[in-house]
Amino acid sequence: MQQGEDLQQDVHIGILALQGAFAEHQVMLKKVPSKRKIVIILVRTQDDLASCNALIIPGGESTTIALLARLAGILEPLREFAKKKPIWGTCAGAILLASAIENPKKGGQELLSGMSVTVARNGWGSQVVESFEAPLEVEGLRESERPFHGIFIRAPVVTAIHTTPSDPPIVVISRISTSLLPSSQTIVSPDEDDTDPRDPRTIVALRQGKHLLTSFHPELTKDNRFHEYFVTECVFPSLLS
Amino acid sequence: MSTPAHTPGGSPLPVIPHGVGNPSGTPVVAPIRSAPYKDGGNSSLGTFGVKSGLAQMLKGGVIMDVVNAEQARIAEEAGACAVMALERVPADIRAQGGVARMSDPKMIKEIVAAVTIPVMAKVRIGHFVEAQILQAIGIDYIDESEVLTPADEEHHINKQAFKVPFVCGAKNLGEALRRISEGAAFIRTKGEAGTGNVVEAVRHQRAVMSEIRRASVMSEEELYAYAKDIQAPFHLLKETARLKRLPVVNFAAGGVATPADAALMMQLGCDGVFVGSGVFHSGDPAKRARAIVQAVTHYNNPKLLAEVSEDLGEAMVGLTIDDNLKGGRLASRGW
Repeated sequence: MQQGEDLQQDVHIGILALQGAFAEHQVMLKKVPSKRKIVIILVRTQDDLASCNALIIPGGESTTIALLARLAGILEPLREFAKKKPIWGTCAGAILLASAIENPKKGGQELLSGMSVTVARNGWGSQVVESFEAPLEVEGLRESERPFHGIFIRAPVVTAIHTTPSDPPIVVISRISTSLLPSSQTIVSPDEDDTDPRDPRTIVALRQGKHLLTSFHPELTKDNRFHEYFVTECVFPSLLS
Repeated sequence: MSTPAHTPGGSPLPVIPHGVGNPSGTPVVAPIRSAPYKDGGNSSLGTFGVKSGLAQMLKGGVIMDVVNAEQARIAEEAGACAVMALERVPADIRAQGGVARMSDPKMIKEIVAAVTIPVMAKVRIGHFVEAQILQAIGIDYIDESEVLTPADEEHHINKQAFKVPFVCGAKNLGEALRRISEGAAFIRTKGEAGTGNVVEAVRHQRAVMSEIRRASVMSEEELYAYAKDIQAPFHLLKETARLKRLPVVNFAAGGVATPADAALMMQLGCDGVFVGSGVFHSGDPAKRARAIVQAVTHYNNPKLLAEVSEDLGEAMVGLTIDDNLKGGRLASRGW
């Protein structure tokens, strides 16, 4: 176990490196300014995971990542990890972190159930018209008045939040405008949800307890403020507790 | 450098050893090329950022050729990160001959409906109407492929004009950069499809990497001359030289038949692997597919590679590549 209070101690942040854009996260994380040395671990085995203080699950194909995790024998260790230590899931990682999904592959797929949300896989549809870029306002980011550039690629959509009183509360840190919601979705509920500012489908970044979820890809930008946010807001506080 | 800078498996991996692809060991990723908000609105579709972004999500994964919904499901269950829908796998195109064309849109739609992972489909080189059709039915990625019979022996499709992203084959750096300048957001080696023989894919990947290494130490004057030499756009060559890798994601394709083949291509610096005939022309497709998926993830772990290579049943019958090759050399198509 790592000694939390010791400021000299290195922080070990893992990146799940089974499939997807893990090298991109690695490059971004390296650039995060930090008083404590950040050691990056590419996690492919149980031993890799055991040495981590926190974990990033990258974008990729959620079905592939889940299968490889099971074959590598780290699915259960990941679920245990999610109960104790911070995890940040981007896109496919967000799907894995959810406790329920819509549109799973036939026969269902495995999740870590780290956060009390339901997400719809491929919620925007296919690549051609539903992958897009959009500027985002994000609460709590350094220089938060400067928009963060959101890249959405076959992104999942948050469709429901279902916290119980014993769960840590969910804090939404970024939403997109309802006008950006996929048209196929707004047609489904033409009048009510369309203008509701709390429509869960507009949520693109949220926190629950130690965990962070983004449906877009901060690792595909040149802006490392989200990585810095994860390190300072999720990882460091968790070391003290 | 002629031997892969290979790290034995089992050791902790603070960085990913990239074989000859990346001797320094630090990860090099394709750059961000998003050019947001060009259309004046507050979001943008079909930018190069999202086109190349999807390719980045496929990295470390295996894309499998499938000819029907049932095979697509087997591929998805085996952990494929995407499937390539086509009418006949390359080995059958070789065996049966004739003109190979884009697949029936109905069949492609059935595959799209059967799986939740991205679906790609092939069009003939230069056949931009086949590409328009695939874009209209909402395919995720188009492969402008030498495996099909070319429709134009001079021009490739102007891929910049499409919202759907394209992957293209290349034998060397010049060809790869020409395709990128036409708008390809994703490159793969051509290899020699439908042979189950990895030798050409190795040749093409080594050629690309060796040319990149050469370019990376050149002065600007030399780069101008080299761009002329390999018939590549100067600005892309310069960017490649600076990055020391192709400016987009680069997969292996054409002849990968075993987990070891797949791991070999990864150690040679590929970002992922296409498997064509190798899976569904083998004895136990589901098992082999899963083993290849694991091999791509754990490509630097020989112990695990040995485990997954065990008892896979019969591999596809391979063909030697010589002048008598049935169906001819597909890699020579494309210009």
